[in-house]
Amino acid sequence: MQRPDWAPDTIDIERPSVARMYDYYLGGSHNFAADRATARAMVDAVPEAPLMAQANRAFLRRAVHFLAEAGVRQFLDIGSGIPTVGNVHEIAQRIDPAARVVYVDVDPVAVAHSREILSGNDRATVIQEDLRRPERILAHPEVTGMLDLSQPVAVMIVAVLHFVPDADRPAEILRTLREALAPGSYLTLSQASDDARNDAGERADAEAVYRRTDSPLVIRSRAELTSLFDGFELVDPGVVWVPQWRPETPESAEDAEKAVFIGGVGRLGG
Amino acid sequence: MVERPDGPTAPGALARCPGAFARAWAKAVSGTSYLPMTQAQLEALLQRLTERLAAALAAEPFDLRVGHQVGAELVAAHITSAEGLGRTVEVVQLRLLRDLGLVGEDIEDRLARLLATVATGYARALRDRTLDEQESIRRAVMVARAEAERALRDSEARFRHQATHDPLTDLPNRTLFTERLAAAIESPGRGADRVGVCFLDLDRFQVINDSLGHQIGDGLLVAVADRLRRALGEHLVARLGGDEFVILVERTAGTDDVVKVAEAALAAVGEPALVDGHELTVSASIGIVECPVDGTSPVDLMRAADATLHWAKSAGGARWSLFDADRNRQELARYALSAAIPAALERGEFYLDYQPLTSLRDGTVLGVEALVRWRHPALGVLRPDRFIGLAEETGLIVPLGSWVLAEACREAATWPAAGAAAPFVSVNLAVRQVRRPGLVREVHAVLERTGLPPERLQLEVTESTMMSADEEPVRALRVLADLGVRIAIDDFGTGYCNLAYLRELPVTELKVAGEFVAGLSASADDPTSRTDERILASLVSLAHALNLTVTAEGVETAGQADRLRAIGCDAAQGWHFGRPAPAAQFLDRLA
Repeated sequence: MQRPDWAPDTIDIERPSVARMYDYYLGGSHNFAADRATARAMVDAVPEAPLMAQANRAFLRRAVHFLAEAGVRQFLDIGSGIPTVGNVHEIAQRIDPAARVVYVDVDPVAVAHSREILSGNDRATVIQEDLRRPERILAHPEVTGMLDLSQPVAVMIVAVLHFVPDADRPAEILRTLREALAPGSYLTLSQASDDARNDAGERADAEAVYRRTDSPLVIRSRAELTSLFDGFELVDPGVVWVPQWRPETPESAEDAEKAVFIGGVGRLGG
Repeated sequence: MVERPDGPTAPGALARCPGAFARAWAKAVSGTSYLPMTQAQLEALLQRLTERLAAALAAEPFDLRVGHQVGAELVAAHITSAEGLGRTVEVVQLRLLRDLGLVGEDIEDRLARLLATVATGYARALRDRTLDEQESIRRAVMVARAEAERALRDSEARFRHQATHDPLTDLPNRTLFTERLAAAIESPGRGADRVGVCFLDLDRFQVINDSLGHQIGDGLLVAVADRLRRALGEHLVARLGGDEFVILVERTAGTDDVVKVAEAALAAVGEPALVDGHELTVSASIGIVECPVDGTSPVDLMRAADATLHWAKSAGGARWSLFDADRNRQELARYALSAAIPAALERGEFYLDYQPLTSLRDGTVLGVEALVRWRHPALGVLRPDRFIGLAEETGLIVPLGSWVLAEACREAATWPAAGAAAPFVSVNLAVRQVRRPGLVREVHAVLERTGLPPERLQLEVTESTMMSADEEPVRALRVLADLGVRIAIDDFGTGYCNLAYLRELPVTELKVAGEFVAGLSASADDPTSRTDERILASLVSLAHALNLTVTAEGVETAGQADRLRAIGCDAAQGWHFGRPAPAAQFLDRLA
């Protein structure tokens, strides 16, 4: 039976959560048996899955670092998940303690956990909202209270878009966000891609695993992801395998295509 | 959160240049779990740990605590996988002594023991970290569940409020009122064995809506709702819809308790209200029901209150009425009767009796008045006074009257002429029938169908029908009169007929009301009786002057008949000349 509009979702830990699966891939223990079982099924289908998650997380770290160094002091991290290690606010506030961060996630457990972690930090907050409803995110009082949208904001949508099917019109979501941003703002995107992998069985297995969650997987090509940066100027090196995005050492960009994730950072010109 | 090896706590770490061993160690553990630092930071961290291990191996006395601390630091840096430990043990075992050129008598022993404490420290720290993380995620689940439940309760409460309140006035709506009334009746508390209801409706509210618009009307409803809420705070005030409000009065001791509430409500409604610049004064009508909860039901109570409200309305409004079971029973019976008319027409339960209109000159039967009867399957034969009024109220008089007209003409057409002309048949027309367009067509069609000559049909209408400002009925009657149909004014003298106007009307006969004739039954010496006789005499002479015939109704005695004949009245009708009866009876007499 469909729950009526006014009824909030239930919290069912028997149902795997993509946020807690991601935590598991990263080596965290903020997860439950159902999350681990599903994550292990994913590792069976795609053995490199934990490495992909780690590579993606490292991309986030480098991107935030880059943005903070570029002078951005406001971050909107949509689909932030379980904020365990290497959070946006830790990276950004280490560079400038005045940096402000709003986390957004649709998973109520992830949000509750984030709230606990952020308690005492008056420059970072979290709201429960869905990426697919950007206008509600932008109008949320916690967002408007924490961020000054007349100043540049870095919007981070990292390892999330592959849970947004085309039917939910990701391009329109991004346009809505873009239109609310001041010139000098940035957009960081990354998502799963199969450009380098020709194993249809592997892809089907991965998709099957994620059908067990509330967030089925949508794989996109580099061209598709690039088109989602519409309105932004991609900063070097554009949309690439995430290990290739401004690597810290040349070795860390080796075998980059194995990371499966592609990503990039775009700047909104004025 | 994880303590940052490259944070402010370890400012010097970055200064040291990592050696070959630290770089090999970093390479071994990277990728075993996500490390929230750059490769350089990792190498710097491991360089520091390498130096601590080297120092421990050389220290006197040998201090195993360093191994624990190194294991714990690895976990703190989020090197948290089993592989992270395994590779650490491997790389330390294989390369530490060699890469750092460490030598000593018992160095192998020391390394083994130190490595064991590194593993122990690592395992302990990882276990603690795992337990902490599990605890923290479970706490998050509990918080999220509590929040979800609170949100659900809030939204349920909001939803419940929406479902049970009127959006315009925010008063409870019919749903909530019905629930509370049902609870009061079905599960009364101690000392709550009686209950009362005031059913309130604004008087002429529609006029305000129509003349000032719905927005003002809504504003007035909001003002009325606020006053009722304020004046009757302790009692449940609900808006049922439109301008209908209802007040639940629980734990009453008698009708007085509810009457007091009704009077307070009327006073509250009656205060002038300023709505959007208009000062509006409205009144209300209230139907009151108060009764023991035992033996009633919410439906009964509301129906009774609704009926009682209509009594207050029909008494002119701006008042309350108290429910009266006898009156209600009568009204229900009347209602049931009126509701049964259409089916009775279909089943042929109506029939006609006829009462003769007799010539006072020669005693011949000039005509007969058709009188409708209802052979009711349960109540027996009903006379028209039981159902004609109802039929007029409900409009059913139109089909019923049409049936009477058609049936009377059908029967009359079959009557044989005995000697002189056959008697005409006189049929009553109700106001609604006369005002209806199509009367002329209907009469015409009936005459055509039955073959009854027009001059053998008389239509009886009331004075008020003729005196209406509307010219259409008179025009219709004139057309019929021109056709040859006789038009009589029934019950003449009881209304306010403008005598001079009579000349203009298409009338052939006046039927003088029985009240005047009744006066003739007293002795001729009685002054009142003489007055009635004089009135009748002048009526007759006036009618004759206008070329109208006069029939006296209600003639019951030979004495009355004699005096009517003496003043020149043309015809009479009444028990003295024959009671209403089936056509066969007077036809026998004619023959």
